[in-house]
Amino acid sequence: MAEWIKVATLEECPPGSLRSTMVGIDPVVIANVDGTVYAAVDRCSHEDLPLSDGEMEGANLVCTYHGARFDITTGAPRGLPAVKPIKTFPVEVREDGIYIQKG
Amino acid sequence: MPMDTTTMDPEGVTETLNREKVQAYSGPEPEWLKERRSHAWEVYEKTPMPTTRLEEWRYTDLKKKLDLDGLAWPEVTECADDFDACPDGLRDAMEADRAAAGHVWGIDGLVFHIDLEEDLQQKGVVLTSTRRAVDSHPDLLKQYLATETLPPESGKFEALNASFWTDGILLYVPSGVRLDLPIRVTRWVSQTGVALFSRTLVIAEPGSQVSLVDEILSDDLESQTLVSDAVEVVAKDGAQVQYVSLQRLGHGAFYQSSQRTLAQRDSTLDTLNVSMGASTSRVDLNAQLLGPGANSDMLGLYFGDDTQHFDHNTSQDHVAPNTSSDLLYKGALDNESRSVFRGIIRVHPKGQKTDAYQTNRNLLLSDNARADSLPNLEIQADDVRCSHGATVGQLDAESRFYLMSRGLTREQAERLVVMGFLGEVLSRLPLGGVVEKVTNVIEEKLRQV
Amino acid sequence: MPENETLQDLGLDEYKYGFVDEEKHVFRTQPGLTEEVVRQISAQKEEPEWMLEFRLKALDIYNSKPMPTWGGDLSSLNRVLDDIYYYVRPQDKMEHDWDDVPENIKTTFERLGIPEAEQKILAGVGAQYESEMVYHSLKQEWEEKGVIFDSIEEGLKNHPELFRQYFGTVVPSEDNKFSAMNSAVWSGGSFVYIPKGVELETPLQAYFRVNQERMGQFERTLIIADEGSHAHYIEGCTAPVYSTESFHSGVIEIVVHQNARFRYTTIQNWSNNMYNLVTQRAMVHENASMEWLDGNLGSKLTMKYPSCFLVGEGAHGEILSIAYAGNGQHHDTGGKVVHAAPRTTSSIVSKSISRGTGRSSYRGLCKVYEGAKHAKSNVECDALLINDTSRTDTYPYIEIDERDANVGHEATVSKVGEEQLFYLMSRGMSEEEAMALIVRGFIEPIAKELPLEYAVELNRLIDLEMEGSVG
Repeated sequence: MAEWIKVATLEECPPGSLRSTMVGIDPVVIANVDGTVYAAVDRCSHEDLPLSDGEMEGANLVCTYHGARFDITTGAPRGLPAVKPIKTFPVEVREDGIYIQKG
Repeated sequence: MPMDTTTMDPEGVTETLNREKVQAYSGPEPEWLKERRSHAWEVYEKTPMPTTRLEEWRYTDLKKKLDLDGLAWPEVTECADDFDACPDGLRDAMEADRAAAGHVWGIDGLVFHIDLEEDLQQKGVVLTSTRRAVDSHPDLLKQYLATETLPPESGKFEALNASFWTDGILLYVPSGVRLDLPIRVTRWVSQTGVALFSRTLVIAEPGSQVSLVDEILSDDLESQTLVSDAVEVVAKDGAQVQYVSLQRLGHGAFYQSSQRTLAQRDSTLDTLNVSMGASTSRVDLNAQLLGPGANSDMLGLYFGDDTQHFDHNTSQDHVAPNTSSDLLYKGALDNESRSVFRGIIRVHPKGQKTDAYQTNRNLLLSDNARADSLPNLEIQADDVRCSHGATVGQLDAESRFYLMSRGLTREQAERLVVMGFLGEVLSRLPLGGVVEKVTNVIEEKLRQV
Repeated sequence: MPENETLQDLGLDEYKYGFVDEEKHVFRTQPGLTEEVVRQISAQKEEPEWMLEFRLKALDIYNSKPMPTWGGDLSSLNRVLDDIYYYVRPQDKMEHDWDDVPENIKTTFERLGIPEAEQKILAGVGAQYESEMVYHSLKQEWEEKGVIFDSIEEGLKNHPELFRQYFGTVVPSEDNKFSAMNSAVWSGGSFVYIPKGVELETPLQAYFRVNQERMGQFERTLIIADEGSHAHYIEGCTAPVYSTESFHSGVIEIVVHQNARFRYTTIQNWSNNMYNLVTQRAMVHENASMEWLDGNLGSKLTMKYPSCFLVGEGAHGEILSIAYAGNGQHHDTGGKVVHAAPRTTSSIVSKSISRGTGRSSYRGLCKVYEGAKHAKSNVECDALLINDTSRTDTYPYIEIDERDANVGHEATVSKVGEEQLFYLMSRGMSEEEAMALIVRGFIEPIAKELPLEYAVELNRLIDLEMEGSVG
């Protein structure tokens, strides 16, 4: 079901920030890259640790635990030890906040 | 669950599991036992809850698998010692048992039936429940129960079990007495959402011989039930002991069994762990080879389906010279089931002339099954022969095609290949009735595939 | 081996690389690791701002990560790390002509046989003394084909885009405590680029020498083997024997592109006062092949697990590891293979010998991700024990998340067989000769993979080490 869910307000996610939230039972990380908001599952594909503890380097989300990198715009791995992508979600910024579509 | 390690709060203390409960439970018991439980509880409080940061719990996350807070204390059901009044599942299991030298039946952590051949009783064999033994054989319990073999200091669950055990089996075989037929234990779990703690103690005096088949089973359980077993087996000089555990609990069970075997000089102490049931099943088995000439065969067999999670954590301690051990654990994994095998052979500095082997083989039957295997060696003596091996593979396509070319359907062929794969374990411990029983359970599982 | 050569003839237990040169340096930092030290290193190297930032961030990561509690005994390492020099600059600039290398350093490398080897068997040579590469040269024919074989500092300076594209992407600072430390204070090491389709017929070699007492060496090597290329890189390491401990922590990053083949050989013969904690990792693309040949003979404690991340379909990884642990030594070594694509294959062969109070541990990982269909991996470990005080351990981790994979691990441990000894002695050999022959047979599968000169050297070392081992 392609349902849109509100996950945060834009104020809560200023540019350069990383924010973690739960959608149902799934942890989601929300990243604001120079004003564009992205969302992905908040679990590193390497050791299942929360990516929201890491930081952004440009469009790359870097896991703080072992340095795995992901392109937040696509979820593709961009540096070892990550070899598998992370799942990303479509994002819409509406007037009342940030929505993601969880399929 | 209190998981915050920055505070000093002991972990795993709940409304059901706490110091007051230990005291209340041991109220009517003799002083030595009260002290023992109270000491065990102190150890429990001091021991942190194992996390995946510990090597031995790396692949089994208790935070996700076990909700201690949700567990209640079981209601005491008084069962009549009447075969016909038993739950169907228990009766079926008992009926499938062949001739035995003695039987024990129990429900929800309490033993309600014991029988033993008359002449064995006369020879001094003791088969009783640990609860009754508090009065009838206190010296045996004082000496052996949760002391040297499996003290509470062994770990979190061992401490918990030593605090709360309600009943169990005491089997004592005097010097030179040999039992031709096994002792059969059948334990049933009927209550859901509870914590059950049971202990098994086997003492085989020098030159004696005995087999114990310990089966635990249930229907599917609505909410999580913790079934905790502690097993202590001592084979003295020249004794021959076989311990077989058949775990066939239903979905919803969290099974946890800590087993330690002590093999003295020239003794043989073999074990077989068959893990078929439960949602999560964790077996810790430590074999100690303490006297020259001691030998342990350690067999294991598991078949996972659905989202079952099996974790077998074994160790072989060669403490004395001239000892041998041979471990073979094999498992098939279907659906989204997962197996963890972690084994270690430790040859201590005095363990010269050790022969030790360890093999773990896994068969993945589905795309979503997973197997992790960690066969370890730590060798501190030079004159040894040790080897270990582990494999993870898929169904051997060749043998399947061969069988299909002989007119079998794909399903039949697969069943045969799986049975052949697992059968190697059973063929090494051909105890009457066990092979048939396990074969039936596996076939039942395969039919559901 | 010449007939009837004995272990005595070979002049055993002395460590022949243990000589000390007079201490000469043009700059060194204060002992210990501080932000100031990191800034000084970066300033000495006249680095771009981004590299200073990279280093400082890595220092934070290093400080935040706990000391590993597994592997070898690191209990006294904190004290060692407070005492050592993290950067010692031996001369003002790196030379490309051997004649220009300062006399004392030149003598050292001549005693180690480097110029001779360069003449005979190598395509290029790099030599590092303390914290800096003092010499780097590449035969002209390879330079003309576009091969780059530079010090890592030159790589950063002369090929900034290529450098930045790959640096830190194979071994990120966050990977482990010592990769973070290296990322903060790295100095020296090689930058290698093999262009598309170029096949280097002879190896490149880097030689690492620590002379300074209480020294920490942190070389960083980045290698890119472009599509269809072939090359072999060899590193050798030695140091004088001091009563205080020294420290070596390298990071080696290798990217092997489609259809390329790369082999990386280490013959590590550090003195027995050296902690050697190294992170070596290769990213292996489609149908490419990576081989690690890892020979660990020296050091007090080595912790090192060369890794192959097989990310492209059909990629192949191979790790051949040999460890020789004599008195007081512990090698905690092995390898990791990660199968992340279909039809990837790998093999790990580990052979270890423990003698006296030596301890060899194999630690390895074989991981197969879901979707790596038809992945195949095989791991074999053999351990040989010489004395009753020797120790060996095997810790393989096997994590399989894909049904269509075949993974096997086998390990055996044995004592040097009395039957074998007896047989050889009945043929007229002394016990020591027989022992040397058996040990040599044991490491043969590895030795034969080395270039001839190195195989001879390895055999000679084993012979040396075997002296006095009997009884």
